[in-house]
Amino acid sequence: MSIKTIGLTRYFDKLCAVDNVNLEVGNEIFGLLGLNGAGKTTTVLMLTTLLKPCTGEAYICDFDVVREAGEVRKVISYVPQDMAVDIKLTGRENVMLYARLYGVADRNRRVDEILGLMGLAERANDRVNSYSGGMRRRLELAQALVHEPQVLFLDEPTLGLDVAARRKMWEYISSLKKNGVSIFITTHYMDEADKFCDRVAIMDRGRIVAMDSPSKLKNNIHSLSAKEPSLDDVFMQKVSAEGEQGGFDDYKFRTLLRRRK
Amino acid sequence: MREILYYFERDLKRWTRSRKSVFSSLAMPAAWLVFVGLALPIRFTDNYLDFITPGILVMTMLFASLQGGTLLIFDKILGFLNKFLALPAPRESILFGKILFIAFRGLLQSTVILAMAILLGVKMHSFMTVPLTYLVLFIFGVLFSAIATTVALLVDDYDSYSAMNSMASMPLFFTSSALMPYEMMPQWLRVIASLNPVSYAIDTVRALFSGNFLLDGMVELTAMVVVVLMVSVYVFRKATV
Repeated sequence: MSIKTIGLTRYFDKLCAVDNVNLEVGNEIFGLLGLNGAGKTTTVLMLTTLLKPCTGEAYICDFDVVREAGEVRKVISYVPQDMAVDIKLTGRENVMLYARLYGVADRNRRVDEILGLMGLAERANDRVNSYSGGMRRRLELAQALVHEPQVLFLDEPTLGLDVAARRKMWEYISSLKKNGVSIFITTHYMDEADKFCDRVAIMDRGRIVAMDSPSKLKNNIHSLSAKEPSLDDVFMQKVSAEGEQGGFDDYKFRTLLRRRK
Repeated sequence: MREILYYFERDLKRWTRSRKSVFSSLAMPAAWLVFVGLALPIRFTDNYLDFITPGILVMTMLFASLQGGTLLIFDKILGFLNKFLALPAPRESILFGKILFIAFRGLLQSTVILAMAILLGVKMHSFMTVPLTYLVLFIFGVLFSAIATTVALLVDDYDSYSAMNSMASMPLFFTSSALMPYEMMPQWLRVIASLNPVSYAIDTVRALFSGNFLLDGMVELTAMVVVVLMVSVYVFRKATV
């Protein structure tokens, strides 16, 4: 198993952000769905060794995320949702930084190869401030893939991208799965999860309330609704939706907008 | 520890590719030297510029180091830090990369001041004054950039960092021996100034300019650096988000 959690739990003071989560993810595209504040990012942060669980265990490729954090970091890549690429550096320099930090052998060849795969070869020597949002996302993916990770964590990989860029992004993600990478995604886009994820888990207030392939989840609620159900319907039925949990993070939103310049 | 150089190179490129920030960081300290050194009506010495140059050098390093903490704050706010922390590279190399870059940039600024000072006729004892001055400034820069970067890792946002920065930087400077000799200070200030690590660096550099070597000052600064680095490395290794 690429990812395995047993009773994974995390409290922030008295708030239980992640509540007794049990997951097993293999070589597949696994989507974690949930409202804002449902605990998706907290789960990802624990799996990527950035946050310690309060109780429970988590293993990435059989390495414990707490006791063997160093080994875990060697086999994973994590792309947060912030679009963190250095806009004053060129695309190649951005990827080269990660190739060096990961200690990739034969890095010149590998960096060129991955830039080519992400469709960035022609613009590799341009500074990133001239890149579009979709190109920046693909550049982040290139950074994450330069050391050929076994498990890839993507937080909202298509956030803010146009239709064409989204489709391209999913094409790249699907091709990764074929090459044996396990992909763990969080997203708000049900249609994308429906189309591209092999399995999804729906998270509500820290708990997993449903987990299966999108088609099975849809079939299970079929009887309740006259028309063909979508994953949206499944989602709305499973979560106790009362609008957003917690306040709107306008600070993060502004940061996001500013980065687009 | 090649990773330190990779992080250093990243910050260096980002800085040098922004001409405005390069210009402002190199021009501002020189302005201090000219306006404070040449313009203040001072009576205790007939050559205030000779007296103030070591103070301005250390001040430049102090402000550069404290300001340098914002590098990590922005890495944190913009999501770079999360990516770096999830890398297998030793986490303290993030810290040392920042320290190296901040100290390096501070030394470049100091070079501008040293050059200006020489042009304005500030007396230096011998040719060894310059390299030894760089050494003291570097140790001092490591001390405060390590503190700044570690504080930046622990606070949540830019506003709290800059509030802490302004609370620390001006008092540290004005309660040091930068602007006047200990004999001219009121009693209460003399006590504070003789405890202030900024004064250790200034007194050491000032002694170098008149041909003396203050071993005490060097030893005290180095001892503080060792302690601060041990704490900082521990904090970085344990960092969670």
